[in-house]
Amino acid sequence: MDQFIKKQIIQVKKGDQSAFSDVVTFYQDKIYRHCYRMLGNKHEAEDIAQEAFIRAYVNIDSFDENRKFSTWLYRIATNLTIDRMRKRKPDFHLDAEVKGTDGLDMYSQLASTERLPGEEAESRELKRYIHHEISQLPSRYRSIIMLRYLEEFSLKEISEILDVPLGTVKTRIHRGREALRKRLRHV
Amino acid sequence: MSCNEKYIKIMHDYLDGDISAEDESLLKKHLEDCEECQKHFHELNRTITFIQSAERIEAPNGFTDNVMKHLPTEKKSMKYKR
Repeated sequence: MDQFIKKQIIQVKKGDQSAFSDVVTFYQDKIYRHCYRMLGNKHEAEDIAQEAFIRAYVNIDSFDENRKFSTWLYRIATNLTIDRMRKRKPDFHLDAEVKGTDGLDMYSQLASTERLPGEEAESRELKRYIHHEISQLPSRYRSIIMLRYLEEFSLKEISEILDVPLGTVKTRIHRGREALRKRLRHV
Repeated sequence: MSCNEKYIKIMHDYLDGDISAEDESLLKKHLEDCEECQKHFHELNRTITFIQSAERIEAPNGFTDNVMKHLPTEKKSMKYKR
C-alpha cells in the first residue's frame, strides 16, 4: 500500500489532481478519527479533516518523498486541530453545559443516544465510557496516546508529527497512561 | 524514590519497548514478589487494551468527493495531456 500511495503522490506532484482522490480515500478514516478524538465534535472534525487534505494538496511540493507521507499528513492535521482548540473559549470543556439544551453537556451530544439490546449495548456503553475518559485527558497527553495506540506510530514518528523532543514524548506518554489507568481502573 | 516509583518508571520503559535486558529481568523478578506493582502493571496493560478497543469511527459519506470539490483548479498542462 505504501508503494501505491507513493506512486499516487508523485502523480499529484506532476499535477494530476485525480490521483489525490486515492490518497484521500486511503487516509480519510484515519485522519477524520484523529480530528474527532482531538476535537470531540463531528462537525468540527469533518471541517478540519477536510482542511488538512486541502493543505496537503496545496503544499504537496514541500513534501519530501523520501519521508513517510502519513507522518507529514498527521502533522498537518494535528496542527490544525490545535489551532482550532486555541480559538475556542478558554473555558470550553466537554462537560460544559450547552446553552439552551436543558442540562445536556457536550458529551451527551457526541454519542448516539440510541440503545441497543443486551450485551451489545453494554459493550457500546463501555466503549463510549472509554472514549469519554480519553476525551477528558489534557490534549498534550491525548494526542500522543491516540497516535501511539490507535494509529500505531512509533515514539520517534510521534516526535516528528508533534514537533516535540523524543524525551518529552516519553514523559507525556507515561503521564497519559498513568492518568488513564487511574480513570479506568474501576471499570 | 520509593521502590514503587522506580519500578513504575521501568514498567513504562517496558511498555515503550525502551528497556535494557538488565531492567527487564529486574522488573520480572520484582513483579513476582510485589503484589502492588503487579496490580499496577496489570492495570496499565488493561488500560492499553481499553484504549485500543475504543469506538471505531469512520469518515462521513462523500468525504473524498467533498475534498476533491474544494481543491484549487488543476494545472492546465495535465488536463491537456489526458
